[in-house]
Amino acid sequence: MRVLDVLLIGEYGLGHQNHQRDMYAPAFEAHPGFRVTGRAEADDPLDRPDADVVSVCVPYERRVEVVTRALRAGKHVLVDKPMALTAAECARIAEAAAGTGLVCLPAHHQRFQPAVRVAREAIAAGKVGLPWNVQADFLVAGGGAVWPLGELLNFAPYATDAIHAMTALPVTAVYATGGPRFQDGPSQNSSFQDGPEDLVTLCLTHERGMTSTVVAGRTPAMPGAGGLSLHRYRVAGSHGTLLADANRPAARVLTTTGTPRGTWAGPSTVDRMLTELHTAVVTGRPAELGPADAVAALRVVEAARRSLASGQVEEVLP
Amino acid sequence: MERGSTSVGVLVIGAGAIADQHVAALSSDPRGRLAGFVDTSAARAGQAARAQGGVPWTTDLAEALAWPGVDACVLCTPNDTHDELAARVAAAGKHLLVEKPLATTVPAARKTVEAFAAAGRTLSVAHSHRFYDYARTVHGEIASGALGRPLLVRLALLGGWIWPDWRTWVIDRERSGGHALHNGVHLLDLVTWWIGDEPVSVYARGQRRTAAELDVHDHLEMVVTYAGGATAICEMSRAHRPASLSARDVVVQGTEGLLTMEWDGEGVLLADERGTHLAAEGPAAGFAAQMSAWLDTVTGTASTGVAGDEALLAVAMGVAAERSMELGRPVSLEEVR
Repeated sequence: MRVLDVLLIGEYGLGHQNHQRDMYAPAFEAHPGFRVTGRAEADDPLDRPDADVVSVCVPYERRVEVVTRALRAGKHVLVDKPMALTAAECARIAEAAAGTGLVCLPAHHQRFQPAVRVAREAIAAGKVGLPWNVQADFLVAGGGAVWPLGELLNFAPYATDAIHAMTALPVTAVYATGGPRFQDGPSQNSSFQDGPEDLVTLCLTHERGMTSTVVAGRTPAMPGAGGLSLHRYRVAGSHGTLLADANRPAARVLTTTGTPRGTWAGPSTVDRMLTELHTAVVTGRPAELGPADAVAALRVVEAARRSLASGQVEEVLP
Repeated sequence: MERGSTSVGVLVIGAGAIADQHVAALSSDPRGRLAGFVDTSAARAGQAARAQGGVPWTTDLAEALAWPGVDACVLCTPNDTHDELAARVAAAGKHLLVEKPLATTVPAARKTVEAFAAAGRTLSVAHSHRFYDYARTVHGEIASGALGRPLLVRLALLGGWIWPDWRTWVIDRERSGGHALHNGVHLLDLVTWWIGDEPVSVYARGQRRTAAELDVHDHLEMVVTYAGGATAICEMSRAHRPASLSARDVVVQGTEGLLTMEWDGEGVLLADERGTHLAAEGPAAGFAAQMSAWLDTVTGTASTGVAGDEALLAVAMGVAAERSMELGRPVSLEEVR
């Protein structure tokens, strides 16, 4: 197997998040297809011979510039999610990547859940006929809010991206409810009304008349919940119904001490995403997701934000 | 109650399929007594009466209301006739349990509530899901405070086509009021009872999956927002495939906890040569509990049924949902009241 050299750039994310340190670096180090050869910051030169792939977690104001430089230096890129804070910036990254033949992967790793992949294959093969409705729940228990940006930007794109992966039907309009609902601000003095959205419901209208309703949020920690307390998709089609529990496959464990818990069976979604990155780079085939998926996700976020402000249905802008 | 009798005499108005459920429930409660049937169809009324051992029947409501021993009525006629028939029951001084929806319009529902208040008789509405074990369990968990304040509720009642053909009134929008009023009110009432807060607006989307020519939507997604910031997602389907699908899904996320009752929560999955099916109890237990609560109300022992004003709110929410589907935007409860 060809081993790809990886340069890790930056350790920034939404709020307190450090996905480079906590997710990508350990996953690259553990993956047989990659070797971490260096660490850099946004200002460092990127045309190093010891990097095939760069993993970008630079501050948001540097995202477009650093990803563009990496692509110009001929590097394949993994970009933390969200790829950028606006659809316009994502579109600039898409422009920079277009025609380069390089892989530029926004880290929408939840679409690599085995249940999502099996669902996607079944739907694409026509097993439910033509899909006309999707219901999705993406609730995470604990971990701390990502101030000052909320879960509309942080979590909702995972679910909308998974729906996009499963159905390939773009979103045309959004009605959103929700807001700051759980009182876990960074200080005791911060009122929950001042915080970012931590629970949202998105009513999406897709092309071909499909509708979907997506719940995304971060709740207080609950013993035994183990991260994603609820992660599932229900797809109704003209000829069948598909129920995908993305918290499976898992083993349920009860013990004489401690709380009931589920034990995930199999590689993590980040591991699976890195395998996709590796395969795309090594074979030269296009990766199954790219900057266009980040643009689509951010356009939904932006329409949802407008809907939360207006209380009305908002079109997704092209 | 009839002189010398300790039981409540119940006249059943409209002897269709749902009347059977009420009559079965009535027979399980010693406080109730079936006084007879009235239906516009002599064949239907006569057959129902014979099936119950030859109780009285007629096609004339005035005559039936004047029978001795009629204390209360169960109204099981098409939705658009509820308000007019209820007014006659109130004028005759009888208590009433009316099938949902209370009426197909907000003014008609309000008029009915006022008529019973003026007559000094009780008005209850058959929001039967409130009496099912699952619904009471969810309500109990929320009421106990275990979940904190509910912020998000998901309730889905999913099935395939169970209605007859084009002749049935339930898919006639004029007669049923639309699916949001015909079945949607079950969910709208239930989530509002669970959340215990004032609904503010409804955004609904409907689809016509079984046939594009349908007047009603066989699939409803109704999203309700509440004054305290909660959101409820109510999904009602007669559109799912395969038609044998029967799935219910409940999620309540509160400030302090998460409750889920998954689609196979009834516990029995049956895999046979035709596929995998869910085997569950029928609605009989719920109808019996509902009948018991109604008889409590009629006899003045307790007031645990679904009162007219709550059903009026459910009608307003159903009307808001139907209007939202027409307009393609959220509709506030204020707009329809």
